[in-house]
Amino acid sequence: MTKYFLYSGCSLETSASNYLISVESVFKALGVELREIEDWNCCGASISYIGANHLSQVVLNARNLALAEAQGGYDIVAPCSSCYIVMNQVNRELGEDPALMQKVNSILAEGNLTYKGSVKVRHVLDVLYNDVGVETIKSRVKKPLKGVKVGGYVGCQTVRPYGEYDSVERPVVMDRLIEALGAESVNFSHKIKCCGSGIFLTELDYGYELAGNILESATSKGAKVMTTACPLCQLNLEAYQERVNKALKKSYNVPVTFITQLMAVAFGLDPSKDACLDRNIIPVEKALKTAA
Amino acid sequence: MAQKASSKYDPTFAKEVFEKVDSGEEIKKCMQCGVCAASCPLADKMEFSPRKIFTMIRAGERQKVLASKDIMLCTSCYTCIVRCPRKVPVMEVMHGLAHHALRSGFVPRKESSKFGKAFWDCIYKTGRVDEGVAARNYYLADGLVAGAKRGLEMKDIALNMLKHKRMNIMSAIPGIQGKKIKNIATLQKMLDKAEAMGKGGSK
Repeated sequence: MTKYFLYSGCSLETSASNYLISVESVFKALGVELREIEDWNCCGASISYIGANHLSQVVLNARNLALAEAQGGYDIVAPCSSCYIVMNQVNRELGEDPALMQKVNSILAEGNLTYKGSVKVRHVLDVLYNDVGVETIKSRVKKPLKGVKVGGYVGCQTVRPYGEYDSVERPVVMDRLIEALGAESVNFSHKIKCCGSGIFLTELDYGYELAGNILESATSKGAKVMTTACPLCQLNLEAYQERVNKALKKSYNVPVTFITQLMAVAFGLDPSKDACLDRNIIPVEKALKTAA
Repeated sequence: MAQKASSKYDPTFAKEVFEKVDSGEEIKKCMQCGVCAASCPLADKMEFSPRKIFTMIRAGERQKVLASKDIMLCTSCYTCIVRCPRKVPVMEVMHGLAHHALRSGFVPRKESSKFGKAFWDCIYKTGRVDEGVAARNYYLADGLVAGAKRGLEMKDIALNMLKHKRMNIMSAIPGIQGKKIKNIATLQKMLDKAEAMGKGGSK
């Protein structure tokens, strides 16, 4: 059985609990074993530069990488795009800069840890597409999402910055996964445009504008459901949708799911227990009725 | 006799950026093409685009750069990094500048700075971020009354999250802290050491 470390990250513990539960159900259904890195810490996300210098952020992530290496060395799969990009970037920097690695190891020694650089960091989309594969996913589909027009919103960090598993400018992996579930993937211009990320807490007006542009772009091309693979993208597009409507005088009412929620539904798993559809604020059941 | 180059041109700030700002030396590679500015999702909200910030650093505009709201408007989308033809990690430079500005007593964006500090505080104290605690401490940064008011403004979002089991009500209660990781004490030692050994640190 293929094993991975699931680095769930902080947001999957609460605001994106529907992502975590659906990831776990889907991987189980696909016969993939997920383990937790014991005593993992936060990756720092993209905002920790405000509170800490770069070396602190590197050390924060190197600790997780060292723990993973010591606990079995499986690839780390991160469902959160921010966790993915931060950990992946640090892993790269350490691999390319022996002096940095040495410095970091002298700091990790405080916790009797050391990192050699053998662990790989992967996004959940990468593992689903390249390791599990579209054919296996197709063969697991029991209730195809026939006729459902899905706007696959990739977001920005999900495929960046190295283009390791998909194009950084014209990604296709999300669309191929949507199609594997029997749904129709909608092409729209704002597929990888930034949703506003953390500025939703501090610069609300700018956030409404960025999220509004994405919702407009996807729905104007016919998307009835949107799907993402990033907790913050999902939150900004869904939980704030009513506010975006008010601010921009619009009336969007489009459910925003995690790709693994769609997979759980298409696999015929329990819509609430496994897909966690009841944790979505904008009801999605009606839009997926072909698969019900 | 040809006139001497302007004596106003002051390289000390550029030197400060190279030496003390994380990724600061990378701006040496910038050729002012403007692709970063054209790619930034919030460029139209900026007075000084990243390209202009880089020029201002070279021109010695310390005060203007470190006080500029624009150095803290980055959403970390990596578009500038992906597109820069000279491989300048523009985003990283902006992050480095923001950290350096805050460390030097500037507060380019008050709200972002409060939120970022609340976020990092969670990491330092517990090893993880409890979203409820981070948001609560951010709202309470200006005191209880202001915090309650800000919190109420967000109650539609909070209630929806709560109703759909995506928020922990306990985290909203003042004084409550997130659960600590097992080895929090050694993590703190590591972070202290890293802060001191990093660029602009004391060692």
